[in-house]
Amino acid sequence: MVDFLRDFIKVLRLSDVRISSSETIDAMKISSIIGLDDKNLLKESLSQSLAKSIREKEIFADCFDNFFKEDFMNIDDPSEEEVHEKNVSDKIYDPQNNNDLESLLKTSDKTALMTSLADAASEVGLRDIKLFTQTGMFTRKILESMGLEKLNNDIFQASREGNNKREEDLKEVRERIRLEIRDYVEHQLKLRTSESGKQIREDALSQIRLSQVDKSDFALMTGIVRKMAKRLIALHSRKKRKANRGVLDIRSTLRVNQQHDGLLFKTLWKRKKVDRPKVIALCDVSGSVANVARFFLMFLYSLSEVLPNIRSFAFSNKAGEVTDLFDTKDIEDAAAETLILHGGGSTDYGQSLSDLEGFIENDIDRKTTLIILGDGRSNFGDPRTDILKSLHEKSKRIIFLNPEPKTLWGTGDSEMNRYAPYCHKAKACSSLSDLEKVVEDLLRYSF
Amino acid sequence: MSASKNAIDLIQLNFEKEGYICNLQIATAIYLSQNLNKPILVEGPPGVGKTELAKATSEWMNKSLIRLQCYEGLDEAKALYEWKYGKQLLYTQVLKDKLNDIISDKSGLESSIESLHNFDDIFFSDKFLEPRPLLKAVSDDKGTVLLIDEIDKSDDEFEAFLLEILSDYQVSIPEIGTIKGKVKPIVFLTSNNTREIGDALKRRCLHLYIPFPDAKLEEQIIASRVPDIEKKLKTELVNFVQNLRDLDLKKLPSVAETIDWAKSLVLLNVKSLDANLVRETLNVLLKFQSDIDAADSEIEAMIRKGNA
Repeated sequence: MVDFLRDFIKVLRLSDVRISSSETIDAMKISSIIGLDDKNLLKESLSQSLAKSIREKEIFADCFDNFFKEDFMNIDDPSEEEVHEKNVSDKIYDPQNNNDLESLLKTSDKTALMTSLADAASEVGLRDIKLFTQTGMFTRKILESMGLEKLNNDIFQASREGNNKREEDLKEVRERIRLEIRDYVEHQLKLRTSESGKQIREDALSQIRLSQVDKSDFALMTGIVRKMAKRLIALHSRKKRKANRGVLDIRSTLRVNQQHDGLLFKTLWKRKKVDRPKVIALCDVSGSVANVARFFLMFLYSLSEVLPNIRSFAFSNKAGEVTDLFDTKDIEDAAAETLILHGGGSTDYGQSLSDLEGFIENDIDRKTTLIILGDGRSNFGDPRTDILKSLHEKSKRIIFLNPEPKTLWGTGDSEMNRYAPYCHKAKACSSLSDLEKVVEDLLRYSF
Repeated sequence: MSASKNAIDLIQLNFEKEGYICNLQIATAIYLSQNLNKPILVEGPPGVGKTELAKATSEWMNKSLIRLQCYEGLDEAKALYEWKYGKQLLYTQVLKDKLNDIISDKSGLESSIESLHNFDDIFFSDKFLEPRPLLKAVSDDKGTVLLIDEIDKSDDEFEAFLLEILSDYQVSIPEIGTIKGKVKPIVFLTSNNTREIGDALKRRCLHLYIPFPDAKLEEQIIASRVPDIEKKLKTELVNFVQNLRDLDLKKLPSVAETIDWAKSLVLLNVKSLDANLVRETLNVLLKFQSDIDAADSEIEAMIRKGNA
């Protein structure tokens, strides 16, 4: 039973239902209380511990129906297994000896066939099936484990003896079993991979270099960015809430009022400290980083949802503020509009930095973190490191994220090596997962 | 039929006696929460009987119901416990008067402090503790039904602070220690889904989703709540409401509103639905003028459909 639950939960997880181990334990307790006889009741009960939103309940119902369409779920239940063994063992299935596929099919005991099929399947590790291309391989493996060799020998022998009828018979048996197994494998594949294929692609995409992302993957990529942002928000938004006044702090009140001879002259209240981090982000949207800019912007946008006080700027040859755009438009419109308004020009870091300084002169202080997203390639213009130096002195932190690997810094028109000394952190940041790490770090630091 | 199935059927039957008609799902949830000692998080559209479920449970099990209505800004001082500051202050005054008696026979600072230490200190004790709903529910030795209503209206912090109570059924008061009752309370949390509940909280609860009832169940509910209603009218009325829920409305009519409507129709001595009557009483079911306007043109068709 533990086996079937574990399997079922794996299927659910692949279908994007989040299940923790404590919920797994609950599910096990539930199934031992409820028992497996009443499928409907089991479904209702399990859904209460495993699916915790309406969407998840729908997925759960689908998965449950699919999963238990297989009539052989009971094989993992020890009591059932014993019964089977009693009924079946004398007739056919004995894993130690060479199992006889022929009699297995001829006894027309579907349950027995399915039992041995499921056993063979778990023996060859069918639960790890991931891609449809593996269907053939697993079918073959299961067939072999169920005694293909003996069957083939029998066929060979029959053909040598000239017993045509028997040969045909046996061949038909082989074909029927093969089809049966193939159906089974395909069903398992469907069960396990309807969502996991997407998951594999998403995992791969979040590792891939941002500039290499194919146009056709943009939609999926946007989804990943959103997911990450959502995860970050979930992690950090709790800390954002603030309470100005708490309850009366009796201890400090009494302590303070000792000087007034115990008369309660002054009341003290528990207060929560509110640290307001200020983040200013500057994003390069020029031609040289065109491939990456889009994702940078999306991420900036997501960031502006997590952090309360963020001002965003975009630049190619001069900087402009896009905070309002991010506040009012949705993620894709905002990114597209920013690219139209500020993108396309040739990069001028010097000019942009001095523009930025003008914008934020009054706003920058010891609490401010400045994030710069860009490749640091300034078309041999004056990099104006002096501005970055003064910003460095005024701010709390400057983080420079560069999509180029470190080995390319300083080559050609890259001013990265001249900027780096004035940044508290200068990092190569080429994939979404890199980006996420940096933001994670930033959030932990700033709250 | 297994023992658990019997127990669940019994729960269903008992609820019916209390006038709460529930389906297998709800009964299963109650059964599981009793057996696993887990709180139930009840979600669903407004007016399907989430709060009613807790009330029915408390009546059926003959335990007192403690209700905590959540709202923005609810904090532990209002939900869990508070010190009786006024009395504590008076106590310090009394203590001050007593101080002379305590240390009068002592000479020297050290021995005075020593005897002060030995003096029974009740400044932080349950005498000065003002229990709030959660503490009451946890510390009651007879066991209670605790209803935490509309948890989605509370703040995130409050949700986090519920975690200890929900998993261990105990309350820690720093100055006193951990308070725990002999019998674990049965806890219901309800949510209208105005915001997503945190994973940590969900993990600790069984999750029960109560949708709008189907026609059969709704008829049973009406029959139990409005016994005077005639059978024909009951069927017509339930079918009408079910059809109404298929329309694209701002706020769908809830079970509570169906019951109200049934009651008012009985009061008006109606035997069968007709379009005019429905039009006049539609404001019992629908609470937005735009919804009433939207439904208006469909009334005839829906009555015909309901009768068919």
